[in-house]
Amino acid sequence: MSANKILIVDDEQAIVRLLSMSLKSDGYDTCTAASGEEALDVFEKQSPDIVVTDIKMPGMDGLELLKRIKERDPDKEVIIVTGHGDIDSTITALQYGASDFINKPVRDEALAIALDRAQTKIRIREQLASYTQDLEEKVAEATVEIRRKSNFQRLLIHSSHDAIVAFDQDWQIVVYNPEAARMFEKRARNVLNKMTIDALYPPELATFFRSEARNGTHDRGEMPWKEMTLETRNNKQIPVRYATSVLHEKEEFMGIVNFFQDLTEIKRLEKELIQSERMAAIGQTVSGLAHYVKNILIGLKGGSYVVDVGFQHSNMEKVKSGWQTIQKNIERVANLTQDMLTYAKERHPEVKLCAPNEIVTEVKELVSDFAKAHDIEITTRCDPEMGQMWLDPGTVHRALLNLVNNAIDACMEEDDLDRQFKVEIRTGKTEAGAAVFEIEDNGCGMDEETRLKLFTPMFSSKGGKGTGLGLLVTKKLVEEHHGTIDIDTRLGYGSLFTMTLPERPEKGRDEK
Amino acid sequence: MGKKILVVDDDPDVRTFVVTVLEENQYTPLVACDGVEGLEMIQKHKPDLVILDVLMPRGSGIRLYRQLKTDDDLKSVPVIMFTGIALRSFLKSQKVLEEFKGEKVPEPDIYLEKPVEPQELVDAIRKKLA
Repeated sequence: MSANKILIVDDEQAIVRLLSMSLKSDGYDTCTAASGEEALDVFEKQSPDIVVTDIKMPGMDGLELLKRIKERDPDKEVIIVTGHGDIDSTITALQYGASDFINKPVRDEALAIALDRAQTKIRIREQLASYTQDLEEKVAEATVEIRRKSNFQRLLIHSSHDAIVAFDQDWQIVVYNPEAARMFEKRARNVLNKMTIDALYPPELATFFRSEARNGTHDRGEMPWKEMTLETRNNKQIPVRYATSVLHEKEEFMGIVNFFQDLTEIKRLEKELIQSERMAAIGQTVSGLAHYVKNILIGLKGGSYVVDVGFQHSNMEKVKSGWQTIQKNIERVANLTQDMLTYAKERHPEVKLCAPNEIVTEVKELVSDFAKAHDIEITTRCDPEMGQMWLDPGTVHRALLNLVNNAIDACMEEDDLDRQFKVEIRTGKTEAGAAVFEIEDNGCGMDEETRLKLFTPMFSSKGGKGTGLGLLVTKKLVEEHHGTIDIDTRLGYGSLFTMTLPERPEKGRDEK
Repeated sequence: MGKKILVVDDDPDVRTFVVTVLEENQYTPLVACDGVEGLEMIQKHKPDLVILDVLMPRGSGIRLYRQLKTDDDLKSVPVIMFTGIALRSFLKSQKVLEEFKGEKVPEPDIYLEKPVEPQELVDAIRKKLA
């Protein structure tokens, strides 16, 4: 039994003894005092749980004793024994924190009930104290854990290779890690809880996120990774990959968090890789080219020999035919040089307002003599709606010429001599407004294997007559123009090349 | 009239050159643009010599050479291979074909790698027709 020790205070020795005996027989441990002063002394020494004191005593009375005890330990229970009708003392005793009253003469039952209540009170208080302490310990533990976790998360954010920036519901910056500081070139202490989204991001981006957050159209508030060029407030252009999460708590907007990955280095490496691949291709191409160049040399030497002979015999026919050979081979050298330069260099389309149909006519003019000489008919079917478009006329010209020349070569390769060979160039527009050029021939066509190898460097199906650069250059030009080339071909029946070029490719790139 | 020499080459520039060289040296030139036409011309005109390119459309020089060397009527017609392909590559292709077809043809008597000086070509022709 807890709260077992009881101090009995009364100036009447008989009552003290009587009560003491009675309580002892109930199993309590008792101590006694005959005055207030003595009681305090015993209280100090024995530290009883409950004090039962007479109110009227000479010297220090019960009320004073009550007051002193409560001062020393408010958790001790004091039961006041009063005479009948002493209302004033009762009220004072209540004010001092007495736990109960029993009237004189003290009856056993009344005392038992009062003690019982006092014990219950003590027990509850003890339990409460234990609960409180338990709770405090738990809170302390939880606090440590929370601090540890929050530290961990803080470190996580701090050491992330992604720039992390988060905004609260008022668009104030609440998370801003060192990588973000590096990217945006602003110190964390000038930014955190001081700046809003508008001060950190370029205006379009800030507007974009604000509207995204309002719309909240995203599943779970997440937007997929995207790429863009981040223009910082210091006018630095950084290629980045970024993701956004719109944060909600119970449907309510809490803020957003952005993750940015700096792609500068990756882009640089990518560029280097492309460049070195291109250089490797040129390297591979060199051995193949040697053959092609040798053919040109043969043409030039042969041509000049024929010219010499023509002069010796004053045979103008000979001179003319030799000179034609020389001119043709000069043209081949010029084209080869142009192809190599085009392929080796990174180049941006030079977009101008131009008429695609006119370019088609130019290309047709260029090849028509040669085609005629080989019984190949060149036709065009141009969409009159094409009009003027924002394209790189150089790209269109060169790509078309390459494709048409290939189509003519394909006709010359075909074994079926009964066929009337034709090359048709068509123009049109896609629904999105991109220019479409179709070059169709009924020449030899290609098998699957050849088709697959078409765009690999130094692949030529024309023996020594091809450099292996033509389609490669065409593809590069078209890709730089953000266009596509599709091939539909059947061995022995001909090929259809479809080239699609969007207008204003520079603009298209920025939107990506 | 000089001896008939057939030039088989798909490149018109090469044909013009060789024809001019032949005319200058009092030979009678004949021309064919590819392997198929080349075989027809040989059968029809029985030239004294064939100057043959290796890489051509419609029946390569390799095929035509083998056709000549395996035809009892034509195998005696002398052939000068005249090509941009290195002899080594040509012989390798012959070896592959021999294993594949199980027939052996003699190596060409004269193999000229382009480009050649007109005199080299004339010397080769003279040597062969001597």
